[in-house]
Amino acid sequence: MDFVNLLQRKFIDYSSSLHREGIVDDQFTQLRKLEDENSPHFVMEVASLFFEDCEKLINNMAIALEQKQGVDFKQIDECIHQLKGSSSSIGAMRVKNACIAFRSFSDGQNREGCLRCLQQLSHEYSLLKNKLQTLFRVSVASRCLYVCLVIFCRGNEHAEPFPDVLVFQLEKEIVAAGGSIPRVH
Amino acid sequence: MKSENIVQDRQPQPQEEEEIMQQEEEEEQRFHVLAVDDSVIDRKLLEKLLKASSYQVTCVESGEKALEYLGLLHHSSPASSSSQHHHQGSSWKDVPVVVMSSENVPSRISMCLEGGAEEFMLKPLQLSDLHKIQAHLLKSLPHS
Repeated sequence: MDFVNLLQRKFIDYSSSLHREGIVDDQFTQLRKLEDENSPHFVMEVASLFFEDCEKLINNMAIALEQKQGVDFKQIDECIHQLKGSSSSIGAMRVKNACIAFRSFSDGQNREGCLRCLQQLSHEYSLLKNKLQTLFRVSVASRCLYVCLVIFCRGNEHAEPFPDVLVFQLEKEIVAAGGSIPRVH
Repeated sequence: MKSENIVQDRQPQPQEEEEIMQQEEEEEQRFHVLAVDDSVIDRKLLEKLLKASSYQVTCVESGEKALEYLGLLHHSSPASSSSQHHHQGSSWKDVPVVVMSSENVPSRISMCLEGGAEEFMLKPLQLSDLHKIQAHLLKSLPHS
């Protein structure tokens, strides 16, 4: 079980660093508290929704800022507002702060300033996505490994086929991490 | 509070959301919350927070969809009188409404509370915020 403990330790340390670096704030901790047996992948699911939403909004703003006939700052402002709201809800602190800074340039109808802000926002988003995906991978890896070890130990003890419920749990973890289960007939 | 107030007095504001609660007497005394939010992330969070607090939840993405759900929106002839709406609207009269927003604008908050909202909550929401709603719900229970 030492390897499982090692992974869990890694998860805790990595998670702490995210907070220290301001990538996530207390709201993210609140989200993690909501995970339970009924929704063990809740944070991952919310994060995925956020990534999709964020990419779409960043893209829309990039297009809006490229318009030769004039930038629709009202549209930009709406995008920023949406992104500020969702980043705040998941606890993505640096993304949220980037939105706040962005807003002042959008209010001032400053195209150059907005372009710089958008770049900063994209950077913060990439950082967040990278870090969270790493965090999730470590979390899933430790869970998978734990289940594997349990299956292995049980198998050794009783000389029975692997308990179905544990195999099912393992499959769920793999799929949640974006993997797939090869089917053998 | 009259549910018509929700439609009439409020200016449609995309940044504002409202919760409407209904007591389920036939079931296990679990309150059913209608959660309205245009953000898919906030809807998911809200659903989780409410379920974690043992509420039944239905999420919709707009005020219009909420009214549709409650049967308050009629897409029939434009000539249909408002008194028709009043009749069906009266069953929702006593349902508590909680307003949430990511923005702390005192004038807008006052307007909502004066319009009959029970409570205003600032986003992002946490589990502890849900305790506030609990008190309002218990208040709204009919005394037999």
